[in-house]
Amino acid sequence: MKPISFKTLAVATALLCGAATGSVLAEDKVAERTEGKTPAYPGIPADSLEKFGGQAGVDVWVDDLFYYILADNRINQIFNTHGHVQRQMALNKELESMVLGGPGRYTGASMSAAHAELGITVTQFNAVVEDAYLACDAARTPYHVCNQLIAALAPFERAIVTK
Amino acid sequence: MKGLKGSKLPVRRCAALLATGMALLGGSAHAGILDFYNDGKVLATPGVSMTDGAGGGGITPWAVITGYETRDGINADFHYTYVNLPNYSLNSLGAAVGFYDRVELSYAYDILPTGSTFNTIGLVSNAVGGLLSSPTLGPILSGLGLTTGNQLAGGVDPWNTTIKMHVVGAKVRLIGEAIYDSDNLIPQVSVGGFYKWNENKVLLETLQAAKSKDWEAYASITKIFFPVSTLLNVTARYTGANQTGLTGFGGPDGDHKKVRVEASLAYLLKKDTAIGVEFQQHGHNVDGRNVTLGGGLDLTSLVNNPLLGPTLKGLGVDSALVSTLTQKESNWYDAFVAFFPSKNLSITMAMAYLGQITFTPNQVGYYISLQTSF
Ligand code: HEM
Repeated sequence: MKPISFKTLAVATALLCGAATGSVLAEDKVAERTEGKTPAYPGIPADSLEKFGGQAGVDVWVDDLFYYILADNRINQIFNTHGHVQRQMALNKELESMVLGGPGRYTGASMSAAHAELGITVTQFNAVVEDAYLACDAARTPYHVCNQLIAALAPFERAIVTK
Repeated sequence: MKGLKGSKLPVRRCAALLATGMALLGGSAHAGILDFYNDGKVLATPGVSMTDGAGGGGITPWAVITGYETRDGINADFHYTYVNLPNYSLNSLGAAVGFYDRVELSYAYDILPTGSTFNTIGLVSNAVGGLLSSPTLGPILSGLGLTTGNQLAGGVDPWNTTIKMHVVGAKVRLIGEAIYDSDNLIPQVSVGGFYKWNENKVLLETLQAAKSKDWEAYASITKIFFPVSTLLNVTARYTGANQTGLTGFGGPDGDHKKVRVEASLAYLLKKDTAIGVEFQQHGHNVDGRNVTLGGGLDLTSLVNNPLLGPTLKGLGVDSALVSTLTQKESNWYDAFVAFFPSKNLSITMAMAYLGQITFTPNQVGYYISLQTSF
């Protein structure tokens, strides 16, 4: 094996960074979508929604999620002050089913529009991620299946976190 | 704050001061001095502390920044790692701080008791040293450059040779989000470096390393593939280290820095448990080399010397014994399980397959590491 030189390493790193900056700056289509599952690597498996318990499973998960969010002192004030929890729960049931490959459409505001005024930090976003895992535990959704939903929601961070 | 200036009553002013002080310390509701503290990363996502002190796996630095802070603050961690091998035990103690999920600074102190590994060197140097006073052989040794006994100690303290190395490190995250960018293949990319200084200069000379202090630079890419609960890290490290620097840097013909590849593959079993494997490419700077005494005198040439050889053989120092002092370095592998019972504690256990270290082959042992984060 021909040894890689320090220069090659430096150039490769710089090229990778340039390419990445370019594509992140491009418009964030993922957060504007209203149908179809979120692209992921590797892709969200075809049986993901089924493993999640179908639409009924997603509904239970969203109910649990909002139970944990409203019990989470790190973020519940935001939901109490700015949220419309009934509407959010209904829309999240559409959204999570859609991103896992369900047939339905999401009819709410885009992720960037819905959260634009809230000044959400990545720390608060992660608090919701932790509550999402708790909701999976509560619904006895296996961790590796839960991670498929996490994969499908993670790219929304770029649209939701504005601070 | 208003109460502080507005109130004329001393008691009220005092109470306001006290309240301000509490707010400063508590810092949650009000702006305060501890406001930089943050532990907002998701459990397990910062990885653990590697033996050089950086955030990563057990032996490889990752592109993740150490600590539980997000871009909103600062977090720090401390680690103690113990590796038990047939002929060595490695203790690594360290501290690291992560700033805004962007920059990481680390320090590690690696202590490696070597048991009886280097006792043969002690035996040989004693035998050779004894010849210095011989009226016939002494002058020959002086002619080869050996004059005093203490030149011969070789940095070895029989039964008690402990190698000590300090490592300072820094890492910067350049681009990418290992976690959030799950819809594309762009990894998180960081670059970093270490400066390592080993306290056992004489022993490292005996082992024919070119240097006892050196720097290393690396680029790491980390990506989490959430649909399959898998994390992959690949690191390219530009280094001339022998056994990570514990036995020095470079060999007889220079410091020999090269890019070496390292990789970690982890499967997330549960939100608080990960299992995985690691690989670290090592160099061959002193492979096939013997040891030297008195700053450059090869033992093979001593036992092959027609005048000294027979006497040394009589003392038990022959080419067979000297050939047991042939060095070799192997690539490192490990298989680990890491538990994250809370954001304040992680426990990593591993089997380490480190191959040959200096003269001793088959260094397979266990690794346990504790890390606390605040
Ligand atoms: C991947 C993570 C998230 C998803 C999928 C998500 C999804 C949604 C959806 C579907 C809506 C309803 C949009 C509409 O009314 O048309 C919404 C609204 C909202 N979200 Fe999120 N959200 C996420 C993260 C967060 C976080 C981290 C926070 C705060 C900590 C947050 C706070 C809110 C609030 C307060 C609203 C109501 C806004 C309003 O009615 O004006 N969300 N979110």
